[in-house]
Amino acid sequence: MTPAADIPLKQPAVSATAGEAEQYERALIDASTRVPVLMFYASAMVWLLIGTLLAGFVSFKLHSPDWFSDVSFLTWGRLRPVHMNIMVYGWASMAGMGTAIWLMARLCRTTLRHPLLLVTGAWFWNIGVAIGITGILMGYSTGYQWLEFPPYAALILLLAYALIISWAVLMFRFRRGEQIYITQWYLLGAFLWFPWLYAAAQAMLFVVPVQGVMQAAVGWWYSNNLMFLWFGAIALGTAYYMIPKVIGRPVYSYHLATIGFWTYALFSSWTGMQRLVDGPFPAWMITASIAATILTMIPVATVGLNHHMTMQGYFPVMRYSPTLRFTVFGAMSYTVFSIVGLLISLRSTARYFHFSEASVAYSHLGLYAFFTMIMFGSMYYIVPRLVGREWRYATLIKLHFWASAYGIGLMSLMLLAGGLAQGASQNDPSLPFIESVQSALPYLRGRTLAALLLTASHFIFAYHFGLMLFGLGRTSTVPTFLNPVEAEGSEAHL
Amino acid sequence: MKGLVPLFIGLFGTFTFSWVGLTVIPNLQIGALNPQMDEEGTDIYPMPQSGMVDRGRRIYAANGCIYCHSQQVRPDYASADIDRKWGQRRSGPRDYVFDRPVQLGKERMGPDLANVGKRGGAEGEKSPAPSGSPAQSPAPGGQPAAANPSPAGAASSQPASSPQPAGAAASPSPAAAASPNPSGEPAMYSEAWHHKHLYAPRSMNPDTRDSNMPAYQFLYQTRRINGDQSADALQLTGADAPPVGWEVVPTYDAKCLVAYLMSRDQSHPLKEVKGGAAPAASPAASPAPGAAAASPATQPPKK
Repeated sequence: MTPAADIPLKQPAVSATAGEAEQYERALIDASTRVPVLMFYASAMVWLLIGTLLAGFVSFKLHSPDWFSDVSFLTWGRLRPVHMNIMVYGWASMAGMGTAIWLMARLCRTTLRHPLLLVTGAWFWNIGVAIGITGILMGYSTGYQWLEFPPYAALILLLAYALIISWAVLMFRFRRGEQIYITQWYLLGAFLWFPWLYAAAQAMLFVVPVQGVMQAAVGWWYSNNLMFLWFGAIALGTAYYMIPKVIGRPVYSYHLATIGFWTYALFSSWTGMQRLVDGPFPAWMITASIAATILTMIPVATVGLNHHMTMQGYFPVMRYSPTLRFTVFGAMSYTVFSIVGLLISLRSTARYFHFSEASVAYSHLGLYAFFTMIMFGSMYYIVPRLVGREWRYATLIKLHFWASAYGIGLMSLMLLAGGLAQGASQNDPSLPFIESVQSALPYLRGRTLAALLLTASHFIFAYHFGLMLFGLGRTSTVPTFLNPVEAEGSEAHL
Repeated sequence: MKGLVPLFIGLFGTFTFSWVGLTVIPNLQIGALNPQMDEEGTDIYPMPQSGMVDRGRRIYAANGCIYCHSQQVRPDYASADIDRKWGQRRSGPRDYVFDRPVQLGKERMGPDLANVGKRGGAEGEKSPAPSGSPAQSPAPGGQPAAANPSPAGAASSQPASSPQPAGAAASPSPAAAASPNPSGEPAMYSEAWHHKHLYAPRSMNPDTRDSNMPAYQFLYQTRRINGDQSADALQLTGADAPPVGWEVVPTYDAKCLVAYLMSRDQSHPLKEVKGGAAPAASPAASPAPGAAAASPATQPPKK
């Protein structure tokens, strides 16, 4: 297939048909989002770097446990939740909100009103995360997964979020145009689901605490839905915007998108309890979640098909566009993530994966291969439009992509294979328990190697992002392509 | 899609459906359980826990023990948990009614702890010390184990699984801690064992060199011996031992954590759970030190 020579030059893709007024309007909207979105992105980048360094440390300590064992706040059991919470609330949530804000402004075709509200919200969010991780390091972790922040930090996060959401309501109030685009469904969903989820979990665990094992059920319900209804919804919404935008072609089917969206909301929100398989719960809860996990194959198939058909014939554009390359990688990872999720959930296979490292592989596939890669893609698209410069080095973007892709690929493989080895030996009572740990150790060392790759990729990206932030990008009207666009006129197969 | 209202109703509806289905309805079903008791109102299980246990649970949560240790025994048809002697019956919701935060766990980089208190102290107390045990109770304030030669022949003939005196597991008493046995171990899962294991996880016997559990040395205090050695000082050997004239003692937090571990016991039968009806019927099935010494082949895997 011949590379599509003229396609990348169409950025922004619809500009061929867009009038000058429309271009001007877009520039105005972009300018109005500049300060808050960059604020969210810059904070996210800082958290990403801290979280990455911690990840390497945590990964290393797991197979070399005698490091710093006399320092309370450097113990593995505190650094691990700090790493997770920094990635979840520091990096992923802030990057997601940054992208969502920009997308919403564009799609509502309205300039951002009261950007100061958002900036304040971002500050409070940062403070909340910082207080939360300090709490964990000091030994005040609550002991619930992804809700380890002490309740007072959670309160700050909710207040910060109230500032941010009030802006989103304003945005919809002033939107122009009747149609609500697919991306907006997902983003509106994410913006409303998150506070409901967070408040419901906080209320049931700390305000009116539920009894005994119900705490674990609420915990898994929350962390699972945070993955799907908050991160997953933002990522899918972003993909629905970026893919058609970059290749300059409408989404293949609106109808499929509708089915995909509602089945996604309905089924994925019912998963989660399968992580408690055979635990002290009524069996129907676990079975319901396993059934829901199987049913999530419907949104996976419809969304995947829709993206694939939209991309059909345009895959060569991935050679040039950094945004598209990252976004398509993320969209494909959504399918992989869901299939792995199904694989480790079915009762027959769960016994080989339950209580093993495979669950870590699963959350990394979701949060990194799926969500984070799409966020990287959107940042490659959005940041140049905010700072008025283009990315400086195509080489750095390529390095970033390949280090991330190989890093997360290696990590998932290592953890899945290690998890299987570990789970299978756990399941064999004739083997001493320590064998199951031993069988996972080589894979954990491999995972540390993957962590090094990811660390390199994040520092490369942060450097590049820093150049853009300080106005050191290229001044050019042409976006940065990963490969030089070949001679005009080479016939594109579209 | 047109119109904000149907979209909003849909978003709210799907969320509420999941919230009610997965948290509210289960909460109606298992969210208000009472402890069980027999007809006379005695034999209550589970019982509320003491203050030290409660504080220990918070220390367990704060230091992330939950990321590697589960506290749930799955049924025998689905897992090897019962074969591994982690419990005699599966766990039920009623086992956890007083647990807050509940620590069911999500991964097993270490063994399950649902019954760790039962496996250690309780059994150690019950099982009589086998006759001819080489371990004698020394005087309080006994010397470190390494410095104290013991009946050498007897001890070296049963190196790894030397049985401990009765009651050794019951408390961190000098008798338990300072057992003058060169094979050096407090009874498995006794309080003294837990303290030593938390301080130096790779120093235990049978061999734990391969363990990748973090050491929790920050829960212990190294201090100069003032007069006699403290009763609760850890008996450490080799590289972990403090310099001469110093001792390692547990902080209050460490004692609470161990009290919490010792409280983990689901051996009491539950009416609604099959299989745990006769916990006392086969004491030999549980990994009591005495039983282990009698038949080393059946000794449970070293955790």
